[in-house]
Amino acid sequence: MVRKSKYILSAVLMLLLLSGTVSAAAPYHSYTYSYWGEPVPAPYSYLPSEVIDGRSLGIESFRSPEDMFVSSSGKVYILDSGNNRIVVLDSEFKLTNIIDSFNDGDSFLNPGGIFVTEAENIYVADTGNNRIIELDGNGDYIRELGAPESDIIPDSFVYYPNKLVVDRAGRIYVIAQNVNQGIMELSNTGEFQAYIGATLARFNVTDLIWRQFSTDEQRQRLKLFLPTEYNNIALDDRGFMYTTTSALNVYDIIGAVNQRSRWDYCAPVRKINPSGTGIMRRMGSFPPVGDVKINLKGSIDGHSTFTDVAYGGDGIYSVLDSKRGRVFTYDYDGNLMHIFGGIGNSEGTFRTPVALDYLDQRILVLDNGLNRITVFDITEYGSMLTEAISLHYRGLYDESLQVWQELIKYNVNLDIVHVGLGKAYMDQDEFRLAMKHFKLGHEREYYSKAFKLYREQVIDRYFGLFVLLVLLVIFLLMKAKRYIINSQRAEVNR
Amino acid sequence: MLELKSSLLYSFHLIFHPFDGFWDLKHEKRGSMKGALFILFLVTLTYILQRQFTGFIFNYNQLNQLNIFLEIISVVVPFLLWCISNWCLTTLMDGEGSFSDIVITTAYALVPIVIINLPMILFSNFIVIEEQAFYFFFNSLAVVWSAALIVLGTMTVHQYSMMKTIITCILIIVGMGLIVFIFLLFFSLAQQMFGYFITIYRELTFRL
Repeated sequence: MVRKSKYILSAVLMLLLLSGTVSAAAPYHSYTYSYWGEPVPAPYSYLPSEVIDGRSLGIESFRSPEDMFVSSSGKVYILDSGNNRIVVLDSEFKLTNIIDSFNDGDSFLNPGGIFVTEAENIYVADTGNNRIIELDGNGDYIRELGAPESDIIPDSFVYYPNKLVVDRAGRIYVIAQNVNQGIMELSNTGEFQAYIGATLARFNVTDLIWRQFSTDEQRQRLKLFLPTEYNNIALDDRGFMYTTTSALNVYDIIGAVNQRSRWDYCAPVRKINPSGTGIMRRMGSFPPVGDVKINLKGSIDGHSTFTDVAYGGDGIYSVLDSKRGRVFTYDYDGNLMHIFGGIGNSEGTFRTPVALDYLDQRILVLDNGLNRITVFDITEYGSMLTEAISLHYRGLYDESLQVWQELIKYNVNLDIVHVGLGKAYMDQDEFRLAMKHFKLGHEREYYSKAFKLYREQVIDRYFGLFVLLVLLVIFLLMKAKRYIINSQRAEVNR
Repeated sequence: MLELKSSLLYSFHLIFHPFDGFWDLKHEKRGSMKGALFILFLVTLTYILQRQFTGFIFNYNQLNQLNIFLEIISVVVPFLLWCISNWCLTTLMDGEGSFSDIVITTAYALVPIVIINLPMILFSNFIVIEEQAFYFFFNSLAVVWSAALIVLGTMTVHQYSMMKTIITCILIIVGMGLIVFIFLLFFSLAQQMFGYFITIYRELTFRL
């Protein structure tokens, strides 16, 4: 009796211990979307590990910081807009520098965006002062670029640069407030070159028909079919730009989801090349729009509002939804990899997240409402998924097979795992297995490819039997035809 | 049983010789109501099998969510709506066919759907995306063939001219929409009335 209760006690203790390790998890649910658009549970891919705010750094707390940038050397630059300063941390999050004045007493006024080049030169979109400031790595003044001038920019235009990136050739791409013609491209000397990559405006047919029948006065009151403005921009390692926009119609988003749209219309996140053409791949079950299943009523309704995008290497990019405080990560093909984050006050959730960036595998999210940065560490599952996708991206299917096989033990709900496994099997001529996984991953194109090869294999093996079968079928068909004709004739004769 | 067999076998003659076929179907009593209902059953069966067992490459249905009652309804209801609307209109427009003539004609006109789509279900499991043209060709052939037979059947059974038949067919489709609308209206009103009396009943029980 005593022994038995001992067993029970130890079993209970074990259970408690186990549940303890499981619920060490985050204050948010980890999920992904099935092929049919239903949210399904997924293992945690990122967990909060650290929170950085003014107090933990021993400085005056941040005041509505607007942007953050992790440089290629791993330094973290925080644009503390309310305090008009830049706070620089090293990759261990130790304070290294504070830049609050430059050029003999000049300072920022509500700056909106920051970018740091590989040479560690700092570019700041000094929104309130209508200019862009370039500083060197120590915070010393280099130059200032005022409002761009061009024939196509009206005199009444007031220049409020908000976000910016600088490519390797020194060209500056600026997103300014109230500009819907696209991104302003400036040369490395700061002269206006062109607007590039305006979002594609779409009109709907009913509006167009109404317009035909309305008077001029009514026509003016109808909303114009204007492209929407971008709200953020990021640069990848090859010089392509990722842009986000939040000013889209919820019904357009729902339409894109229902059609599983692959086009650039009504796309909240785009990838554009330096000539302004959209080149994003949207081969996933749904286009990258954040949450797929959304409610139209309730306290938080409508589609995900993207406010920032960050490039994570090997074609992987993450977007930040400020509405529900979630980070969505997609692979090079636009497949959803994982979702984490939420709205709240605890560690790992946000009030108004405004910026995110990668520091190696970690993801940093800057919260404008709680004035802090949350650091998320990748879990074992998350790093395995990233590794598998990176191997796959580089075409190393053989090497990826093992990782996929391990991943499927963690998550059978993720279509990309099945598709990756299928491609790896196909590479090893295991067509039957490949077909099984392509089917589970709802990947018809590759299923068809695998099936074609499998069919050839089977026909090669059973060709003699196959011919015999065809002859038999033809014979039976002829027999059946004769039977029908005979019985019809009998009918007529009767 | 023998009668059913011969009336079903007649359908093979009918789909290749529609003008004579439909005439004999009505006037020589070559078809039967039993045969028509059996064909309707086969069409429903074909539809269900098609939804469930078409090869993965061409099958975009969520297979674990298919509801067999909804599948049956989505064949039988349009069929009945067509027949009822057809009868309502042609009675007013000097059509010569009775309701059972209409049902038999329409059912026999659907035979191509069965004989083409049933093998296509099997076929779709052995072809790849590059060969989809065959699949879609035969599928659309079945639909076009049946639609043409329905028009010709309506024409023969009511003794209409071609022009009149086409106009009637368009009106029949409008009529189908009207019937659906009236039913929805009726059910919506019935629901409201039911709700009204339920509320009165509840009110009374609370007071008493």
